[in-house]
Amino acid sequence: MRKVIEIKGLSYRYAEGTQALRGVDLEVFWGESMALIGPNGAGKSTLLLHLNGILRGEGLVKVLGKKLTKGNARGIRGKVGLVFQDPEDQLFSTTVFEDMAFGPLNMGHPKEKIKGRVTRALGQVGMEGYEERCPHHLSYGEKKRIALATVLSMEPEILVLDEPTSNLDPSARRSLIGLLKQLKLTKVVATHDMEVVAEVCERVILLSRGEVVADGGAREILTDVDLLEAHELEPPPVVRLFRQMGATEIPLTIEEVKPFILEEVLWEREGEISS
Amino acid sequence: MHLPEIDKYSHLQSYLHSWDPRAKITSFSFLILSIVLLGKLPVALVGFVLASALVLSSRIPLRFIFKHLRWVLLFVSVFFILMSIFIPGQELYRFHSLVISQEGLQKGTLIAVKALTITLLIFPMIGTTPFPTTIKALEGLRVPHVLVQISAFTYRYIFLSIAEGKRMIIALTSRGFERKTDLHTLQTLGKLIGMMFVRSYERTERVYQAMVSRGYNGEMVTMNEFHLHGGDIGKAIFISLLGVILISLEVVL
Repeated sequence: MRKVIEIKGLSYRYAEGTQALRGVDLEVFWGESMALIGPNGAGKSTLLLHLNGILRGEGLVKVLGKKLTKGNARGIRGKVGLVFQDPEDQLFSTTVFEDMAFGPLNMGHPKEKIKGRVTRALGQVGMEGYEERCPHHLSYGEKKRIALATVLSMEPEILVLDEPTSNLDPSARRSLIGLLKQLKLTKVVATHDMEVVAEVCERVILLSRGEVVADGGAREILTDVDLLEAHELEPPPVVRLFRQMGATEIPLTIEEVKPFILEEVLWEREGEISS
Repeated sequence: MHLPEIDKYSHLQSYLHSWDPRAKITSFSFLILSIVLLGKLPVALVGFVLASALVLSSRIPLRFIFKHLRWVLLFVSVFFILMSIFIPGQELYRFHSLVISQEGLQKGTLIAVKALTITLLIFPMIGTTPFPTTIKALEGLRVPHVLVQISAFTYRYIFLSIAEGKRMIIALTSRGFERKTDLHTLQTLGKLIGMMFVRSYERTERVYQAMVSRGYNGEMVTMNEFHLHGGDIGKAIFISLLGVILISLEVVL
């Protein structure tokens, strides 16, 4: 499989002295959805800011086969779309259209094609017709979607999301999860929301105190309750329930639980009939 | 939560609302400049009447205008009182050692009328266009990028800052804080304002990072799509003529 991101021995220290990353090694492959989990202060957001050269630490960062340098960072930003945690930070223009057009214009795309890009990106997040709305008049859920669309309008190859579901109400969160599942892009998602990880990602990296402490399949990491608890994390509710029940086969999502319950119901009915 | 919005009535229908904002801003700016240059009270009063007529024709509710004018009135009345007292001239009225002079009263009235007229003109000029469009128009008029961006960012984030300040005051109130005229209140509000500055600073860092992430390199590239029609130019000539008439009256009278 083609490597789209390759990081070797990446370390980063903030000016005030906090060592945020310590020798991180990481590879992300084309088309995969990778979750970056870890407790607060683990270095998740810092690592994300290295993926498009906003921060530059010690070590190697290669994106789409090119070593990230000061000279090529701007071009790489068009390929790595970074969606920030707080949409208020991302939506700074006075209309949605201006915010959506900002990235493509900076990338030097022809002005006559910008409208098409904006319309397409708004369609992808289900927000058609919002072009002339003021971002500060939108609901938080709408702002999150538009923030995502401002990056999609650049048509990136890699989508990087920092806490995409934080502060969303249950309905907006559910709808955003559905949207993320639909997007056929390489995704790197930093999150505390283990249900997002279970539903959206097939691979998980566990970061703790700036170091990668686990790298594996979502099922392998999310069902390792001891590992998660050792790093102040919690498995998804479904995993906790089946663990407490002592089940050997553990589902990750509600969808995966359904066959277990149906089997149980059928088994009980059979018992009733035979008795 | 109530937030101040100058463009609250920009959705109404009038000849001012349908006007190309670039032509509107240019001609109103000329009219405002003409009023600034006036030195004779009767001409300034003519300007005030014209401005009032323009405000009425904008269909912006008068209640909205008076609500915003009260602060200007307060500010202007201070100047009016001070100028009436401190500018020497023919004595009109004496109260102990305070003397109100005719020249002072005239100059004070002139300043007050001009200030009110200019403030009134802001409503048909800015209040009849959605503010984001006004900002785009400024860009179209080649106003320096830095000034346009400062206006745009202020407009975008002022609501957020006000909301944040209000939330912080609610949090203070819920812990028993009451605003009084004492040192504790001043210290508390000082800390609150300081914290708002810190938060704003941190937000600017994040906003900047989000901009750089989308290819920003210090230069704003934008799209302007205004189309100037004959009617827009006609309206601009009409408003500019009002300015010319005022200046002519100033010279003739």
